[in-house]
Amino acid sequence: MAQRAHLKAGFRRALLAELRQIGARPGLMFMLAPFPLLLFALLAAVFQLGLPRDLPIAVVDQDRSTLSRQMVRIVDATPEVAVAHEASSLSEGRQLLLSGEAYAVVLIPARTERDVLAGRRPEVVLFYNNQYMTPGSLVARSVGGALGTVAAGISIEARVARGADVESATQAVTPVPVRQSALFNPSLEYVQFLLAAVMPTVLQIFIGASAALSFSRDRQGVAGLGRSLRLGGTLMRTATGKLAPYTLTYLLVLWGADALLFGPMGARFGGNLAFHVAYGLVFVLASQMLGAAAALIARDTVSALAAIGVITGPAFGFTGITFPRLSMNGFSTVWADLLPVTHYLELRTDNILRGASFDISLPAFVSLATLALAYGGVTLLLLWRHGRPRPAIAVEAGR
Amino acid sequence: MIAAFFHEIVIAIMAIWADKGARSTMLGATLFFSVFFPQPYLSEVVRDMPVAIIDQDGSTLSRELIRRIDAADAVAVARYAPDMPSARALFLKREVYGIVVVPPKFEHDLLAGRAAPIAAFSDGGYFLLNSVMSSALSNATRSLGAEVQVGRLTASGTDMASAMAIVEPLRVTTVPLFNPTGGYASFVLPAVFVLILQQTLLMGIGNLKAGRRSLGAFSTLADAIVYVGLYSLWAGVVLVLLPWVYRLPRIGDVAVMYAVVVPFLCAVTAMGIAVARLIPTKEGVIFFLVVLGMPLFFLSGVSWPAEAMPRLLHAVAFIIPSTTAVPALVRVNQMGADVRSVETTILIQLGLCLAYSTLAVAVERVKQKRLA
Repeated sequence: MAQRAHLKAGFRRALLAELRQIGARPGLMFMLAPFPLLLFALLAAVFQLGLPRDLPIAVVDQDRSTLSRQMVRIVDATPEVAVAHEASSLSEGRQLLLSGEAYAVVLIPARTERDVLAGRRPEVVLFYNNQYMTPGSLVARSVGGALGTVAAGISIEARVARGADVESATQAVTPVPVRQSALFNPSLEYVQFLLAAVMPTVLQIFIGASAALSFSRDRQGVAGLGRSLRLGGTLMRTATGKLAPYTLTYLLVLWGADALLFGPMGARFGGNLAFHVAYGLVFVLASQMLGAAAALIARDTVSALAAIGVITGPAFGFTGITFPRLSMNGFSTVWADLLPVTHYLELRTDNILRGASFDISLPAFVSLATLALAYGGVTLLLLWRHGRPRPAIAVEAGR
Repeated sequence: MIAAFFHEIVIAIMAIWADKGARSTMLGATLFFSVFFPQPYLSEVVRDMPVAIIDQDGSTLSRELIRRIDAADAVAVARYAPDMPSARALFLKREVYGIVVVPPKFEHDLLAGRAAPIAAFSDGGYFLLNSVMSSALSNATRSLGAEVQVGRLTASGTDMASAMAIVEPLRVTTVPLFNPTGGYASFVLPAVFVLILQQTLLMGIGNLKAGRRSLGAFSTLADAIVYVGLYSLWAGVVLVLLPWVYRLPRIGDVAVMYAVVVPFLCAVTAMGIAVARLIPTKEGVIFFLVVLGMPLFFLSGVSWPAEAMPRLLHAVAFIIPSTTAVPALVRVNQMGADVRSVETTILIQLGLCLAYSTLAVAVERVKQKRLA
């Protein structure tokens, strides 16, 4: 200690003090890099397959005809779906839905084939579990498509039987085909979509919480924030010295996760790398300032962490990645704007997926920087207020 | 004996009220999260998503198609763009979320009986908007196409019934069950509410128990009973009352729900006590739980199908009570499943309760040995 005592107050001294604090706490060290990377690995494993395959469905075939068997075969052949159960009745199919063993039930009523041949337009019904919306709608789309193919085949045969040639009969089946393509993320990969958005949202919790812990600890310690300020000399140097180790580590985690995403996991990077680095840095800073400000406003460490939990924990719903922002209520829109990750994800989408030019991204970048400055301003102000030497603490100066 | 136990129960209740952290997580946070979390999803479905149209045909039929696209609830024709670059610019500025191109000769081809394709560009970065666009377009094109076809056939002398049988020989009816409108709140919230119960209960226990010495098996049991009792009341608020307030579909039997809820809360309580004994600081426990919330949601298989997860991961995730309890409670509450359909989950929860209780006791033994 005596050796370090001559080190002048300033950024380096605040930084070294913080590093010693981190070094003394293995739990904190774990939460800096290994824990977020572990969570990334976990989430990557969850979405590893990109698109679900062979989701189980049930079939109630009451017709048992050539046509009904053909329908079952074609449905089973779609990659997303597998006919896992042959139920004998609709109530048995319902039980499979309720126990979660099937996502959908296809009902082929008796006499379907006969009615088709007689031109009576029988009805095949697809019941699907829309409570599990992601798999449910995926199953509905692929099974609906497969049954549509069967119907189209019959329609073509009918036209050919009436003397049309195969070419025009085929065209007549879908008179207005829609050639839909996704402008961005054309492969509709969940890895790009969810993992790339979930990871920064989880990191925002880590970044905010670590900054909150760092400031709370000093504030609740016996020496209070006064000591931290004496180490740093000025407000600015204290704050930057204290936060620098976390800024650096989380930036490395953020970019490390990106390196994995765009490297081995094969996501496409279509944007400007320098800009990506820039808004990544501002995102980390803004999240840190949010955490620091919370720590200086809250009464104790647990409340500070709880506040960060409340702000950053439910953030994902507000970012608009799953349920779009354009359909949110006023409160959610405003709240989302106050979260650094909302703007970060928008910038990411614009830059990486859309390759948008800088002027498109400017408003989001300005919003993100404004948040960093605003939360930073609150932090510095409160740091000044709480760190002022007070008569009560003056005794401790003679230590 | 009974009086002593009753005394312990009262002490346990007082402890929750006396500890600020426990009070704010077990009483405040549960309610707060249940009100705060649903906010982004409350409009349930996307309405009037703005799309841009590039009408290169300008015919009666192209205008009819555009009218049908606009008539869909989810989509609204917001802009007419002269060409692709200007439509793309609107898209990048997020003024529109989809582009539809009706090529020249659309009407001409359609009336001549040839395929008249249209092109559509949607946003692959936002899955919900992408599927909203698909369904609006397929409905509009299918209905227009079928009408034109039937019109052609009847004009050439076929009677209406046969014309219909040729155009649509087999009707495929799609029936969405349990969440008929495809509401997003109805889909996400029932699962999230269960997770909120688990996470706040764990946090509360962390607040009360982390870093403190156990006061003996008797008092711990009394605490556990109080936690399970308190959260059984919360389960009524969060899983029955709130869905009613938010008008989420709920058709389940409350008795069946509690048949799952009580074992689930026992498992969570046992886990909370074990975790609190393993992680020595309150801050550590709270942080750990906040961070884990989202991964646990995805692991429950409600938003991302369990079949698409690696087997091993899904097997390991079973040690968390929510992994099996979330889908089971969704099936009971939203889908009306009976006890038989969720009995596996009930057994798993009881097994977890036993396992975590054993762990908690073992950790305490080891700690006491070290102290001795």
